Amino acid sequence: MRAVRRPPLTVLAAAVVLLAGLVGVVRSAQPQSTANTASVGSGGGASSMAGMDGMSPDMAIMVRGAYLRQPANRINAAAYLTIFNTTATADTLVSVASGAGALTTVHTEGAGGGMQQAAGGLPVPAHGSLSLTPGKGHVMIELLFGPLLAGQTVNIELTFARAGVVIVTARVIGVTAPVPTPNRTA
Amino acid sequence: MWRRAVAAVGLIALLAGCGASGGAQPKPSELNDHTDSTYAGLGLTPAQPRPQFTLTDTNGRSYRFGTATAGKPTLLYFGYTHCPDVCPTTLADIAQALQAVPSSVRQLTQVVFVTTDVKRDTPAVLKRYLAQFDPGLPNPFVGLTGSQAQIDAAQVAAHVALAQDDGQTHAAQVLLYGSDDYAHVAFLQSTDEAGQISHDLPLVAK
Repeated sequence: MRAVRRPPLTVLAAAVVLLAGLVGVVRSAQPQSTANTASVGSGGGASSMAGMDGMSPDMAIMVRGAYLRQPANRINAAAYLTIFNTTATADTLVSVASGAGALTTVHTEGAGGGMQQAAGGLPVPAHGSLSLTPGKGHVMIELLFGPLLAGQTVNIELTFARAGVVIVTARVIGVTAPVPTPNRTA
Repeated sequence: MWRRAVAAVGLIALLAGCGASGGAQPKPSELNDHTDSTYAGLGLTPAQPRPQFTLTDTNGRSYRFGTATAGKPTLLYFGYTHCPDVCPTTLADIAQALQAVPSSVRQLTQVVFVTTDVKRDTPAVLKRYLAQFDPGLPNPFVGLTGSQAQIDAAQVAAHVALAQDDGQTHAAQVLLYGSDDYAHVAFLQSTDEAGQISHDLPLVAK
């Protein structure tokens, strides 16, 4: 939320630049990336809705309760979150990436009870949700770029088959901190 | 929900996988219905006696679990430090529970973590890992390792399923042995695990 929120002035400026780009006034002024920023900015504005850690621009996908525990092993980290599909059509989480490590995958509980990389994407049912909770599933972040400390936030990029890219801001909680409240009820 | 649905008995095969596949889900026939409402966790019927096994602690010294913890409320958990999810969440739950119980109970209680990954979890690695969970607690968490055969023997003695895949798929339950040297209750990862432990710990501490 913090990372993607833009002050209105920036959005306005971006829109002006974008418009200018469209009419060919500043053709060389990287309108493409500016346009992307503007679109993420407006999505970010909406994601300041209470308790939401990320959502697609059309609000088809909303994510809340995103957190990860400061890794005591300093080797890997598991992020947890709940994804809500607000539409009447099922969607699929097809890939994940994060700013915290070089390798990010989704792990879910396998048929045998162990954790394994989810193959073929994870379904998010129409008007339903997908929860990744300890023991059930997590976003696995490996090859950490550096220490993850309580109080920091980690951006996680979720890519859905229909809704496209959703950027989620997960906060890092302390090694022994309780699970944040939104997850208890999710 | 769990407390009503499941009570574990004997060799319970509840496995927590952290990084790999494998292991077996418990069949309903392997579990008892929970009939003892005394405990918030999973009541164990019959109660399991405090096991005897000898491993190596984080100072490289021999640690005889049965005698070292005799008469003390003891939380015993098997896991490994590379585990990203269930192990650190469970240790955090234990730490929270210990902060929540009366000081007299906290002073008595010993936490013992036995690695299931003997290749990577050396005494030094275990020491550094556990030290992040026990700050502010009167009794540092004890970390134990050993040969694969010793770790297997410890799991058998504690009546938990043998870990697989280099220890990455391992028993999920935290066993609570009381001052009477029996485990009447165990705990599984849930959003209320800390609450269950802090509820039950004073009941078995005398």
